[in-house]
Formats: sequence, structure tokens, C-alpha cells
Amino acid sequence: MKLTYTLKTATNGLQTHKSRSALTILGIVIGITSIILVMSLGQGAQNLILGQVKGLGATTVIVLPGKISFGPSTAASTMNDSLKEKDLNLIKAKANVPNSKYIMPMVVGSGKAVYGSNVYQVAVFGSGELVPQIFSISPDRGYFFSDDDVRSRSAVVVIGYKVKQRLFENEDAVGQKIRIKNTTFKVIGVLPEKGSSSSFDDAVFMPYTTTQQYITGTKFYSRIVVVADTEANLKSTVNDITNTLRDSHNITDPEKDDFSVTTSADIAKTLGTVTSALTAFLAAVAAISLIVGGVGIMNIMLVSVTERTKEIGLRKALGATDKDIQTQFLLEAVILTALGGIIGIILGSALAYVVSLLISKFAGLDWQYVFPISAAILGLVVSSLVGLVFGIYPARQAAKKSPMEALRYE
Amino acid sequence: MSLIEVKNLGKVYENEGVKTEALKGATFHIKKGEFVAIMGQSGSGKSTLLQILGLLDDYTSGTYHFADKNIKDYNPEEIAKLRNEKMGFVFQAFNLLPRSSVLENVKLPLLYSSRPESEWENRAKAAVIAVGLEHRMYHEATQLSGGEKQRVAIARALVNSPEVIFADEPTGNLDSKSGQAVIEIIQKLNREMGHTIILITHETYTAEYAERIIRLHDGEIESDTQVKERRIDGKDFIK
Repeated sequence: MKLTYTLKTATNGLQTHKSRSALTILGIVIGITSIILVMSLGQGAQNLILGQVKGLGATTVIVLPGKISFGPSTAASTMNDSLKEKDLNLIKAKANVPNSKYIMPMVVGSGKAVYGSNVYQVAVFGSGELVPQIFSISPDRGYFFSDDDVRSRSAVVVIGYKVKQRLFENEDAVGQKIRIKNTTFKVIGVLPEKGSSSSFDDAVFMPYTTTQQYITGTKFYSRIVVVADTEANLKSTVNDITNTLRDSHNITDPEKDDFSVTTSADIAKTLGTVTSALTAFLAAVAAISLIVGGVGIMNIMLVSVTERTKEIGLRKALGATDKDIQTQFLLEAVILTALGGIIGIILGSALAYVVSLLISKFAGLDWQYVFPISAAILGLVVSSLVGLVFGIYPARQAAKKSPMEALRYE
Repeated sequence: MSLIEVKNLGKVYENEGVKTEALKGATFHIKKGEFVAIMGQSGSGKSTLLQILGLLDDYTSGTYHFADKNIKDYNPEEIAKLRNEKMGFVFQAFNLLPRSSVLENVKLPLLYSSRPESEWENRAKAAVIAVGLEHRMYHEATQLSGGEKQRVAIARALVNSPEVIFADEPTGNLDSKSGQAVIEIIQKLNREMGHTIILITHETYTAEYAERIIRLHDGEIESDTQVKERRIDGKDFIK
């Protein structure tokens, strides 16, 4: 029998039981919908995180105290005192790290910023004067502080976009004075809006020396940012910094490093792995419903085969081979699951789109909707496979029937 | 030339260890173009015999030659092809596909045949016309009366121009009037179109439309005789 006719026979078979067919594929629809939803949102999250990390630049090296290499390190890095002024000077020495372009220590703290009756919780980034060069951000009003300010521990701040909005509303901030932790700082610059994916909008920048003196009261650094002169020298720069710090800290066993040196590529890679793993895990959970759906298909197909015993007997009497019958029932199962897959893909993408809109609207994140093409193709293939795997047993049962016994069946 | 030749054909059913001998060594020939009625009470083995002859069931002893070839020499695919191309079936319970039209039902054997698709429509239409149902061509099978359903089944048996048509109690589910119409069509297939017919019935009246009657009793052939007063078109006819 020609495949086109088997296909027609199979679709006819399904059409005669429309509501049953619809209920049968519900499991597959739900399974594929959840997989598409999870994959789309997972990819969206990954893009968001990678976008943030990439903002650092491809030649940036970050030296952190302690063993952890990235993550919510504020607590750990303020507690950990392994990066000191001595280390900074060693890294700055061209003999130790020859290919560095910029070197800048940072001290991270936090506090309430007060202006008049307005209070706003801010992140305090104590930094060098190189922030505009390293992070590609310059004040759109006022100016960034200079190395003189760093040396003299000037009480000056450059404030982020949101800090300006909350404290000063429509007033001009430059030249005004704000208080953080009982110290008065003069606002010398306002940064432009970086968008919701950046922490700069909620932050104030001041010389790291000033931060050490007035905000944290410590002598060590939260991190040291080094920018290599070229991307080709990135790896050697990482090695140079690592060796310099090991020398300085008298460490021979790399396992005992009390600092970590990472690049934006490393961070992106690790974060990517984490989100991928999480996405895969959620997708795997969703995939379980595919198996449940497949068992449902098998169940209904078995019922259908029993119910249509007479039809099978008749077809065989009229010349259908075992293979014809098997193909017909297998096709019915595959059409069902593939249809479920297509519906699931459409539903999942639509849901993911709505969720993306909601996230960017209500969470204020710079979230982009991603249509997971690979997941959609995978979903279609997997759902068809489910039909093939769970349809083969009922189809075999149908093909095995003796025409005479099938015709006699009541 | 014999179309069908069976020797000592036997069939033993085994059900939960209990053996039932349904057919005990039947031997006969059926020539091409013959119209044979197989008669017998229920349990006499007549249905078993028809199912074996129609390749719907296996036999357990003896030999069966169809068109001079031993059935044991065919593989399952070839047997399906044989059923499709050389045999037509008419069942007591009609066995139509309920949600398909008359024409689609008649086309069904063609779907499994090697005939070119371009012939299907015309062949199916010709078969529907041959049983006088051209006015019902596009009706669904469920909308037809019993007699009409059986005529659709006959058209379906006819559509692939088979060598032999097997009819298993074709009038069994019909009232006497539509039953007579059906048996007359079957006879016409034999007389006018030369189809070999093997008919199962327990009514002598219906059997007398055939040329020859094989009577079965308890799985054995009791008699094998030519019909002396053959019924034609409902009128008595002396051969």
C-alpha cells in the first residue's frame, strides 16, 4: 500500500475519534510546552547574564581575594584580607606583569546615602580614576575623579543614575553634598543610565582610598581589576598575576591559593555552564511528562486496536499485509504525538513570550525573548519518537491479529 | 481446469488443551466459473472450510492447491496479495467501514493492490453500478439499508476482478426480499461475468441458485451434487 494512502487512512482513523485523539495528546502537549518554556526562559536568562559579564570587556582580568572566583562575593571579599597594597604594587611592577594596560584596585561597601530628607541604600564602589576607561562609562554631567583625588582621599562621589533620581529628583546633583555613613561627600559627576542589567545605576563611585578610610575602615581590597594590553596577552597576564601573588603570599601549592584570578570569559563560561545545567535539569523534569504522555498514547492505541479488531480483520481479508496494518497504526500514533509536539511548541513559545514581556516589564530587567529553535526541532523529533516508541507495541498487536479471528470478534 | 483443489483437508482447533476436529478430510475440486453452494448445519465445518479456502485461516492436514499451486508454497505477503487480487469476500455482517462513503468502501481493496491509482475511481464506480447502487455512491455506509449494505460489500468483492468470490451467509442478516435481490446479483456475477462463486448458506432455497451443492455434516462431506432444478431470477428453472 502506498504511504500516502496509509497516511490518509491513519488521519481518517484519528478524525473519527476527535475528542479522544485530543485528550490523548494532552500529555505530549504539556510536556513539549514545558520544555519549550524552560528552554526559552533558560536561554533568555543566560543571554542576560552573559550580556552583563561581557560588559567587562574581553581583556579584563579580575583578581579576587579568597578562593571563590565569582558570584555574590561582596560579603566574602570584604571579609577576606588577602589582597593588600603590597600585592597591588607588585602587580603594577612591569617586571612582574609586563602586559598590563590598566591596573585598578576596588573596595566595595554599602551604606545609606542621604540628601535632605531623601534616603537611598547604595552600593559604594571605591575605585581608581580609571573607571571610565575600564568600564566604558563616563559621567554625562560633571566629571570623574582623578588620581589626585585618589592620592588625597578626597571626599568626592560620582553617583549612578538611580541614585541621582532618588536623592535629587529633578534637581541638579553636581556640586551638592550627600552623606554616607556620617561623612559628607561632594557630588562631582552623575553617570548615565546603564539599564536594569547593571549594578552601576544603584551605586556611587569614590576613590578607593576614601572608601577604605570612611566606609569600610579596612586596609585591603575587594578586588583588583587588570586590563591586558591585547587579547592575545590575556592568558599570560593571568599567569603573571597568579605567579606574582603566589610569590608574594609564599604559596607553593596551587590548591592553597588565597586569591583567584579570573577573566570575563571564565566568568561567562562558568555562568553559562550553571544556567545550562539548570535549564537541562528543568527540561529533564519536563521530559518526564513526555514519558507519561507516551504511555497514555500506548494505552489509547491498545484500546483503539481492540476496538477496531473487526476493521483490522476486514482490511486483512481484503489484502492488507501485516506491514500495512502495522504502518497504519504506527502512523496514527506518530501523527498524534507529532501534532502534540507542534501544538506544544506553539503554546510553549507563546507562553515564553508572555513571560518574557512580564519579566522585562515588572522585574525591570533587560530581558529578551528567545525562540529556542534547537529546542523546537528537538521537541518535534522527540515527540515523534515518543509516538514511534510507544506506538510500535499496539501496532504490532494489531498486525498480529489473524484475519479470521479478527472478523469474528464481537 | 481446477481453480481450487483440496485433498483430505483437515482442521483441528485446540483450545486450552481441548482438541476439536472442525474438518475431517475434505476432498473436492472446484472449476473456474463454477457456482458452488456449501451447506450444512451450524457446527458442520462449513465456515471453517470457507475460511481455509479464502486463506483467512490455516488448515492442519491435507493439501490445498489454488490455481495449481500449493498454498504452503506461498509466503504471508504473497497470501495477502492472493487475497487481494484473486479473491473477493462477502460476509454475513457486511463489514463496511461505517464512516466512509459507498465509493470509498468499494475502493478499499484497491488501496492494497498494485493497480495504478488512475484506475481506482473508474473501477470502483463500475462496481457500484454493477450492483445497482449508483444513486447511493456518496452516501455513508451507515445510511444504507441492510440489502444495500450487502450490495456494497458485493461491489467491494468485485472491484479487483477476482477469480473467486467467497460469500459467507450473505443473506443471513437480510429479510427475504432484499436477500433474494442479493443472491440474484451474486448469481448474475457468475452467469454474466463468469466469476467463480463459493457460497455458504443453510437455506436450501438460497443454495438452489448455485449449480452444485456440497453438504457438510460434522466436518465431513456428506454429499456433493449438481442442482437439478436451479433457481434463476426467482423463477424455477430446469437445467
